[in-house]
Amino acid sequence: MTSLRAATCCAALMAGAAFAPIAATQPAAAQSAAASTSLTVAWYGGNWGEAFRSCVAEPFTKATGIKVVPEIGTSTVTLAKLQQQKGAPTIDVAWMDGGISELAQAAGVTGAIDPQAVPNLAKVSPEAVYKADGAVFAVGTGYYSLGLTYNTQKVKTPPASWNDLWNPEFAGAVTIPSPANSSGVPFILFLNKIWGNPANDLSKTFAKLKTLDTALYFDSSGAASNAYQSGEAIVGAHFSVGAWDLADKGLPIGFVVPKEGVWATDARLHLVKGTPRAAEAARFIDTALTPQAATCLAEKLYLGPSVQGVSVAPDIERKLPWGVGGSVKNLQLFNWADINRDRGAITDAWNRELARQ
Amino acid sequence: MTAALTGDPATVPAAAPPTALRRALPLLAAPVAFFVAFFAVPMVVVLSSSLMAGGAPSLANYARVLLDQYHWDVLAVTFRIAALTTLAVTLLGYPLAYYLVRVVSSNALRRSCVILLLLPLFTSNIVRSFGWMILLGRNGLVNDTLVGIGLLDRPVRFLGTETGIVIGLVYILLPFIVLAVGNALATVDPTLEEASADLGSSPFTTFWTVTFPLCLPGLIAGVIMVFTLAASAYVTPALLSGGKITVFPMLIFQQYSTVFDVHYGGALSITLLVVTLVLVALAGRIGNGGGNRS
Repeated sequence: MTSLRAATCCAALMAGAAFAPIAATQPAAAQSAAASTSLTVAWYGGNWGEAFRSCVAEPFTKATGIKVVPEIGTSTVTLAKLQQQKGAPTIDVAWMDGGISELAQAAGVTGAIDPQAVPNLAKVSPEAVYKADGAVFAVGTGYYSLGLTYNTQKVKTPPASWNDLWNPEFAGAVTIPSPANSSGVPFILFLNKIWGNPANDLSKTFAKLKTLDTALYFDSSGAASNAYQSGEAIVGAHFSVGAWDLADKGLPIGFVVPKEGVWATDARLHLVKGTPRAAEAARFIDTALTPQAATCLAEKLYLGPSVQGVSVAPDIERKLPWGVGGSVKNLQLFNWADINRDRGAITDAWNRELARQ
Repeated sequence: MTAALTGDPATVPAAAPPTALRRALPLLAAPVAFFVAFFAVPMVVVLSSSLMAGGAPSLANYARVLLDQYHWDVLAVTFRIAALTTLAVTLLGYPLAYYLVRVVSSNALRRSCVILLLLPLFTSNIVRSFGWMILLGRNGLVNDTLVGIGLLDRPVRFLGTETGIVIGLVYILLPFIVLAVGNALATVDPTLEEASADLGSSPFTTFWTVTFPLCLPGLIAGVIMVFTLAASAYVTPALLSGGKITVFPMLIFQQYSTVFDVHYGGALSITLLVVTLVLVALAGRIGNGGGNRS
């Protein structure tokens, strides 16, 4: 049952990704007439959306009486919608991941977040406040990482290094993200960095990846969860959020931060440029930056809090993206501008080197 | 199963009188508006973006696609998968359609068979492809069974192979050919077959010289539908390939969804469209030729 539910859930997500640009703008449009009695917030599907609803939207509605209308979609879909609605947005606040966030800023769909209107911004660690041209365009609401995930029944010794994936006993049962996944391109740059290869030459990294005997390269987080669940993959990369979700469902899945560290990114909030409900939108963002919301997101999704001074229970703490005793300083946060610049070339190289027989 | 698809010439007057035309225009307006808004406009957007490079009109995107052997290799993989799928679907679907239309005598039974056939269409491709990922996996039902009954020593790899993709596509596209062929079979006049039998033909000869040629337009329609759907399929190949085989729609999706290069993506889309149309036109020609010969 669990596997079926998980499959349906990621399936719904992906269906959203494929068709949402046409279909999903309509319900939001219908809501725009309701003025300030409701606020439209774009967020992701599955356990993410659930967590955002109970940790942020519900407390917000309770405090203000303003209804929150969710607009479900992946970050890229949300960006596509915002570009279509440019000038007359129906989405007021949008969650988008690191990377897409920078693209949204460059596309001119993000408005400035005013520290006066969002007093809790002062409590956020400086790394999670994203500025362009002196104005805040995004604020991180929690970090997640891409770490080593393994089947605790089939893998006797927990892997401790990314190089352990090349261990012969794992041949044919490894999975890593493809460039179609948001972590795919940064993961290649991350490997290139930890292997000490020159930053402008990925050929050695691709040559090494070519020798990795994989079961699959995953496009979506759902496909990765599915592979670990069915035993198709017994070791590989996975998002901290997805891996712990599997473990919490009682599956024999472990997640470790290897000695080389992990690549990480964050889910960020954006105030949509030109929204007629800017004051309410700012209030919503402020609600998301309270210590209560950050704790709640850490408990539900194991997101590493971006709000300073938030402490969580030890069992939650060990599941945070930086592992036991870590902090945001242990995460390898890449400059998304570099990644976005090389995205096309890296995807192309991947297609030619790895995605063919 | 109606006669709607057979294009009975009696229902389509060759030259409608002007008043009838005037009356028909408002009726036409809705489908035309729909077609323009949801097909023509997006197509023009894709085409025009594919003809732009660096802010100026250019054919550079097409040069990038067409002058690179890699893209032709991916096209070859895509059309090989589509052709194998079409072949398998036809071999499975034709007998099934024949059985449903000619052998099953109870209407209720036929109706329930058709419902069973159509039922999967109500579920998203994604869910069904995830289902196949579970069935075809290393520890999946198919491998467990084959190993269990001693046909295999160790699990075969289906995921990440062209075979796996073809299996998934065949399952998804089977109803299309059964409906197209069944529709054609149902409209074949049984007296023609009786006449053939009266004239001494064996059932086999009657099938090949009377029934099969009369159903050919339906079969061709089904084949074209299945082939184009298989060549343009994204979800099933993306999931069942495990990212280890690339088909053309995956390249297009990548450009639009993760690389955000709509110009190169547009050129890829138009290339796939044109090559598919050329192949379908060729198939239509062969189909017409076959029809004329009969």
